[in-house]
Amino acid sequence: MSLSSTSSLAACVWIPLFPLRCEEARHEGLAAYPTALLAPDTTRKLWQISPLARHAGVKPGMTVSQAIGLCPTLRLIEPDPVHYDDCFARVLAALNEVSPVVEPAELGLAYVGTDGLKGIFGEPQKIIDAIRLTVGQSDGRTVRLGYGLGKFVAWVAATRSKPDDAVIVPLGGEKAFLASQPISVLPLDSDTHRRLRQLGIRTLGALAALPEEAVTAQFGAMGRRLWRLAAGRIAEPVEGRIAPEPIVAALTFFTPVGERELLAHALDQLIARALKHPRRIGWRVHAVRLRADLEGSSSWLAAILLKDPTADAERIAAPLKTRLEQSSPTGAVERLVLEFTDFAPGTSELQLFARDAQAAARAGQQRALQSAAREIRMRVQRSPLYHIVEVQPWSRLPERRYALIDYEP
Amino acid sequence: MVTSSRTPLRTDRLRAVNEPQPVAVDLDESGLMTVGRPDGRTVGKVEAILESWRIDDEWWRRTIARNYMEVMLEGGKRMVLFQDLLTGQWFAQMP
Repeated sequence: MSLSSTSSLAACVWIPLFPLRCEEARHEGLAAYPTALLAPDTTRKLWQISPLARHAGVKPGMTVSQAIGLCPTLRLIEPDPVHYDDCFARVLAALNEVSPVVEPAELGLAYVGTDGLKGIFGEPQKIIDAIRLTVGQSDGRTVRLGYGLGKFVAWVAATRSKPDDAVIVPLGGEKAFLASQPISVLPLDSDTHRRLRQLGIRTLGALAALPEEAVTAQFGAMGRRLWRLAAGRIAEPVEGRIAPEPIVAALTFFTPVGERELLAHALDQLIARALKHPRRIGWRVHAVRLRADLEGSSSWLAAILLKDPTADAERIAAPLKTRLEQSSPTGAVERLVLEFTDFAPGTSELQLFARDAQAAARAGQQRALQSAAREIRMRVQRSPLYHIVEVQPWSRLPERRYALIDYEP
Repeated sequence: MVTSSRTPLRTDRLRAVNEPQPVAVDLDESGLMTVGRPDGRTVGKVEAILESWRIDDEWWRRTIARNYMEVMLEGGKRMVLFQDLLTGQWFAQMP
């Protein structure tokens, strides 16, 4: 349901410690103190640390008591993920003023497609200036900027830039630029990072100097990707997305609610309400956000990307309920808001189901299923609908385990 | 899986799923495997054998003996192949 456009030239906009910067922006004078933001999932641990607190020996992941022991003047802040999300949405909207191709990566990190912007702004430095001016206007936080061919080069350039500065990698200079960079800029898990260091590989240049096949043999498909990134052979384009207007269902509680069962019940109601929205008919839900306004002006947020888009209430609810169980809101909930933020079309057969789904809701699912199956059979002159049935699920021979049988509702 | 409509199953209408698909496997001069389709088109060169296992079954009826291997092709695509040890033919199959 979302349109996309791409750009091979990329500018990376990185605002490190974005949530903490949001807090500093709304609490005047906070930046002058050692500060730590509590983790959204468990308030007993620290999530982000200000440079002053880090200087005192405080580290992310520490417990509150450990941190206070090291730095008695430490100021602890309850997380407000909904506020950070809103702030980042404003940054993205501002970037959209410069380029229509903007791809958010994570809170505080976004890529701007710059193909064609030369005609408007001029040389890359002018484009970077325009981006900095725009983000600065909406935000005022320390921004690091990188510019180059593809997202990876732009990201590495941004990590190398000084605060409020930019590193521009000229076209054709990617390989030389990447060669001297440390391997920590690669998207590595800690195990691969350790193995590479044990092999004496410390820079992208050292990795790219190895034969591609040897790296692939050692590290598999991921190794091949890492090698290609290091050698500047991959230039992943920026993919801008025009997001659809979300479908929103909200519930304000008479009195703040803390019981998980009650929240889960409210969630079921919200999902049922959102699924009935006329704009949802004919589409499966791909991305869901559940946010909660908590007592004491903090908030809670869960964003889920469904692996298999679905219109089934239980399958939408399951990951959200798991999140409610595992990292429940840290306070009583005053308002619960559900948003369907991305959608996926069904197959052509599903679209037939979808076309008169509202009628289906009135007449009953079974009858709608029968008529949709009949219509499909008439159109394609055969029934392409099957049950998958278990035949010998225990069999060691894969072809014996399951079979298809005509579906006749 | 679709919810059962309680229609009685007719085994004569069962269609097989995941049947082995014949492939051609050749070795080049340096001993590297290449997987191809029966019509001669190349699927890809094998870069690594990730896992291998053997299945011997139904010796009491019609013996089945297969040597399976999960391979990684050039470009990172993964594939499961097996060689029928009775006929020597190669097949591709979902695991």
